[in-house]
Amino acid sequence: MSKPLSHLDLLEAESIFILREAAAQFRKLVFLYSAGKDSTALLHLARKAFWPQKPPFPLLHVDTTWEFKELIEFRDQSAKRFGLDLLVHINEDGVARNINPVDYSPSVYTDVMKTVALRQALDKYGFDAAIGGARRDEEASRAKERVFSVRSADHRWDPRKQRPEMWNIFNGRLGHGETMRIFPLSNWTEKDVWRYIAREKLDVVPLYFAKERPAIRRDGQIFVIDDDRHFLKPGEEPKPIKVRFRTLGCWPVTAGDESEASDVESVLAEILQARNSERQGRLIDHDTVGAMERKKEEGYF
Amino acid sequence: MRHDSIKAFVPAAEAPWAESYAKPRATVRQSSPELNGIIRLLTCGSVDDGKSTLIGRLLWDASPLYDDQREKLLKETASLNGGQRPDFSRLVDGLIAEQEQGITIDIAWHYFDTEHRRVVIIDSPGHEQYTRNMATGASNADVAVLLVDAQSGIKRQTRRHLAILDLAGVRKVVLAVNKMDLIGWSEERFREIVEDFKTFAARFPAVCWLAIPVSALNGDNVATRSQTMDWYSGPTFVEHLETVHTRDDNLDEPFRMPIQMVLRDGEGFRGVAGTITAGEIRTGDIVCDALSGKSSRVNQIRTMDGTLDAARSGQAIVLQLEDHIDIGRGSLLTTERLHAARSLDVRLVWLSNEAYSPTRGYLLRTAADLVAVVSLKIEGNLDLDTLELAEASTCEPNGIAEARIDLARPVAADLFSDHASTGAFLLVDAVTGAAVAGGIVNGVSTGLAANEDAAFTLTSEMLRRGLCTDLQPTSDGEAEFRRRANEVAIILRAAGVAVELDI
Repeated sequence: MSKPLSHLDLLEAESIFILREAAAQFRKLVFLYSAGKDSTALLHLARKAFWPQKPPFPLLHVDTTWEFKELIEFRDQSAKRFGLDLLVHINEDGVARNINPVDYSPSVYTDVMKTVALRQALDKYGFDAAIGGARRDEEASRAKERVFSVRSADHRWDPRKQRPEMWNIFNGRLGHGETMRIFPLSNWTEKDVWRYIAREKLDVVPLYFAKERPAIRRDGQIFVIDDDRHFLKPGEEPKPIKVRFRTLGCWPVTAGDESEASDVESVLAEILQARNSERQGRLIDHDTVGAMERKKEEGYF
Repeated sequence: MRHDSIKAFVPAAEAPWAESYAKPRATVRQSSPELNGIIRLLTCGSVDDGKSTLIGRLLWDASPLYDDQREKLLKETASLNGGQRPDFSRLVDGLIAEQEQGITIDIAWHYFDTEHRRVVIIDSPGHEQYTRNMATGASNADVAVLLVDAQSGIKRQTRRHLAILDLAGVRKVVLAVNKMDLIGWSEERFREIVEDFKTFAARFPAVCWLAIPVSALNGDNVATRSQTMDWYSGPTFVEHLETVHTRDDNLDEPFRMPIQMVLRDGEGFRGVAGTITAGEIRTGDIVCDALSGKSSRVNQIRTMDGTLDAARSGQAIVLQLEDHIDIGRGSLLTTERLHAARSLDVRLVWLSNEAYSPTRGYLLRTAADLVAVVSLKIEGNLDLDTLELAEASTCEPNGIAEARIDLARPVAADLFSDHASTGAFLLVDAVTGAAVAGGIVNGVSTGLAANEDAAFTLTSEMLRRGLCTDLQPTSDGEAEFRRRANEVAIILRAAGVAVELDI
């Protein structure tokens, strides 16, 4: 008799089922790859889903130009290692207008460099479906998100159009101009992602591991200085602080945590005992009340 | 679905297994890396019954909520109860714009871990549109909790809820008699409610149920045993969730695997990929495809992690068969002989805001297949109060109907009562792509019901709404309209669908 399945085995199988449905039902599929931990777990699942073939879609990274350097390095290495095409899209119009996370509010910056940029990229290549690593447990407004989440022709999330999902049946049929977002990790929690990374021995961006990095303390939070663009205020002087990141975004708006966890096992132990929820280190989520919900309606992932 | 160990599910009063629950439990949470499976719990009831409070209590008591979430809740709601106790319901109701979002099918998902298991809470609202919401949530649930206010007892709504659960294949029900604190923890009143429920539940022999007296507000018998209701010896709600059987606990059923796609390695390997929905498979077993009727022997069971000797329900695998038989997406592998169906007797729950319309084109989607509906004939609507079928020829939003569906080509389908995963389907609007109804298969036949020549009727309305929305009512526009209509008919006929044009 085959051995009973653990909750992680069941989550893995569910994600593989969803990925295969996505590949079978859509004409031009893309994988939104951020190179973070969720993307890493999801890419591994995609390799399992289509093995012995390669995943039948390219990776797309929306580069805000304010990413951590280590993340970009890891992104390029991963694509090469698994033999996948990597498309990188930057909102050049936003760059020309110098929309940056230092001078602009998180909501304006995210809208231009992430939300609009993603819409541009999807239109440019004509993708009819995009796979992403969002989880329902990340944030309250995601608790109602579908696994197959339909978007109108202008990539907006219309609550009235959200479709019922019954049984194990995922309906990818599109109306005129519509596209789909597909979230195979919907039912995973942050802990599951780390358990899986540890179990499957996956490489992740070293930013998740504690290391002395040049950083400053500001308003009770720690920011790692990743390059020499203007961010420091008068009197602020970077000093080495041993930090790691629980979640990764643009470096001027992503706070690190002081930690001693410098490998997967110790990170997992730390996450299993964490006292605070995952997104509290992300400034964009706290900008205004219900910020995340609004961003979703506008087409943020 | 009837494999469940019914003996483990007797009314609380007679619970013989109460002892095993009484063992003192470890107070320190052991964060074991992997948990024993996942239990999906549907919560049914209205705000008045204390549903949000119960869910909040579960999250607060049984799960390691994060400090920032706890502090936020305490800060936000302390004033409401004079600082005594946070308002647990806020843990689930805290979403801004929740009321205004207007999602048609409105279900929220929450997650927590007990010591042994992952619990997924499927929360559907109890307002007047609840039939379709509940049916949708129930289709994904292993167990459902029916909340009853101990003061008011079993209501008409409770009965309707049980009927919907039965339709959606939920076989495990917990009757949570809530607000016991408000009736002086009365055992007599609890038994009265249980007796009342028993009479009604007898009409659903497939459903196994258990009654638990709780106080969601105080936490009695939710995650911790009640100190005041010592007359109750059954499990607490959380203890029950940790041991109750799940739907994929179906190893004793015959093997089923819907094929999602064919995978190749470019060097001669050809395998069929899918997830096993019932039973087990071993290397050397003979499998038969219900769609084509062809059979072969399993040569290898493969995954990226290596070759397996056997695989079980719930696993995603690739099967390499001995013979190169022509099977692919839409095929259903079994270890018994099954015939593909051309016509289905079904029960539907209407999910769309627009009622059934005979002029619309519909498609039927199973777990891994999509086929055009040639005719859909509504035979009657189910009255949830009397459980009787009233003659009707249409189905309104939120309604439940029995119908007969003829398909453009055969589809592999089981009876829902035999195999839930391969006996259920969605009805999809051919133009908008939206799922308009969910259904279960109650009967299959290999021939068509009406006549063999039944054809799919392509109407001008269908084309104008979708494919031809860009056309102007000029003579050029009309010509282009006819050209497109013809093209569609040609393509459909090439795909084996009988089509009649009605334009």
